[in-house]
Amino acid sequence: MANSGNSIIVDGIDAAYGAVRVLEDVSLRAGDGETVVLLGTNGNGKSTLMKCIMGMVRPSKGTITARTDGQEHDLVGLTTEQIVDLGIALVPEGRRLFPRQTVEENMLLGASRRKARAQIKENTEFCFEVFPRLAERKNQLAGSMSGGEQQMLALARALMLSPRILLIDEPSVGLSPLLVSRTIDAIKQLKDHYQLTVLMAEQNFTQAIRIADRGYVIVHGKIAFEGGSADELNNNQLIREFYLGL
Amino acid sequence: MDLQLDLLINAIIAGLLIGGFYAAVTAGISISFGMLDIVNIAHPAFIILGSYIAYIVNARLGIDPIVTSIVMLPAFYVLGAAVYQIYYQSFEKRGQESLRGLAFFFGVLFVTEVCLLLVFGVDYRSVSAPYIGSSISFAHMEFPLRLLVPCAVSLAMFAALEIFLSRTFIGRAVMAVSQDPQALRLMAVDPTRIKRIAFGISIATASMAGAFLIIIQPVIPSVGRDYIGRIFAICVLGGLGSLPGTLIAALLLGVIESITSVFYGPSWAPAVSFGILLLTLAVRPSGLLGR
Repeated sequence: MANSGNSIIVDGIDAAYGAVRVLEDVSLRAGDGETVVLLGTNGNGKSTLMKCIMGMVRPSKGTITARTDGQEHDLVGLTTEQIVDLGIALVPEGRRLFPRQTVEENMLLGASRRKARAQIKENTEFCFEVFPRLAERKNQLAGSMSGGEQQMLALARALMLSPRILLIDEPSVGLSPLLVSRTIDAIKQLKDHYQLTVLMAEQNFTQAIRIADRGYVIVHGKIAFEGGSADELNNNQLIREFYLGL
Repeated sequence: MDLQLDLLINAIIAGLLIGGFYAAVTAGISISFGMLDIVNIAHPAFIILGSYIAYIVNARLGIDPIVTSIVMLPAFYVLGAAVYQIYYQSFEKRGQESLRGLAFFFGVLFVTEVCLLLVFGVDYRSVSAPYIGSSISFAHMEFPLRLLVPCAVSLAMFAALEIFLSRTFIGRAVMAVSQDPQALRLMAVDPTRIKRIAFGISIATASMAGAFLIIIQPVIPSVGRDYIGRIFAICVLGGLGSLPGTLIAALLLGVIESITSVFYGPSWAPAVSFGILLLTLAVRPSGLLGR
């Protein structure tokens, strides 16, 4: 990995909630323009890892380094706002929209990041192109929309931040199989357009590896397997049987 | 024209004018209680403080109370931001804001009142300005300037607040902050800073509402209590978090109170307004324009 582009390197982090240890010596990397998936079932620490990167949970050990806009940053110790300001956005688990604000207001809140304000128009246009549904419903309250529409809005809101690195936590939760597939396609489309580096946590193995370049399997807070390519993950029968229950 | 109709029209006009004043009094609560989830029961005390500042400057220097209140806006903003910071550090940060926070604001209310009482005593104080006492007549309608001027300035203040809330990044964050502060962080916005700014603005409106109050009626330190019930009623009737809703509710309540006072006697006014509040909430629990 050269010293250019947008990348994120997690090196040997431990994290715990009180006495409960959730992550143990976790290391992973997402290089410039890569789509990396973090696979694992519920309760294995995927969301906690995302929260560590975003400064919402502080790791007790290890380092997290991100490279955005040609500069390297040590993320541990920064506030969530500072991390987002560097160009790292998270689409959180459960979407976390502002339910009593309209679609448009939610998207404009995403554009609060200073560096994103100049691109509001083009970002909005592109989001509406990828998700025409949001354009139709831009004056509707976010809380009154269906799960699939809310997931679209959560993605659109994150893109309004003009991120370099996009973290997506469980985009498939609560969606029908068809919608999951569409959401995954949309993520690929957004990624290609913005040349994003994507780190996606997901339990839906078959859908996630469709767009993944590489992947990690996390089990009980440890990285159990690292696949250098989507094929490698796909063909690892042991992983499929034991950890993903396929 | 017959007398009844004349009375009715003038009652409606007086109601709309007083309603404009109610709107100014409620604006701050609409922000703090409606948008930030902060039960600032002490808001009327800050309004009375505004009244007394307008009074001193008027008595000593003869300056118009509304001019004083505009000059004092930054000071009230800083005061509000400081009060929020204390509230945040002592209660909100530890998740103890609901009951202890309420007690805190009760404390602020009484302390402010007692301080004003010690400094100014219990006598009624009033201001003088060229427009107090005169009125414009038009056909059979009567527009007392001491009501018209505060109402007009209040409407201008509302328009400015609404533009700020709906058109600026900080304004939109203010409307969203209580729904999910953590998600706001993910938009690179510090929710505590947003709440501090919004609470500062909410207290700043008290400066202007205080000036309006002392133009409309003479003031004693405890007069704010007369308004507490009405303020929260208007805020809830309009719909929490909606400034246009607050304005409509304030005008509505003003007109209802005025008509009731003229035709059935002033003692019925509060009963009728609270009756309307209960009826509205039974039909529309989120208030007139609540989301």
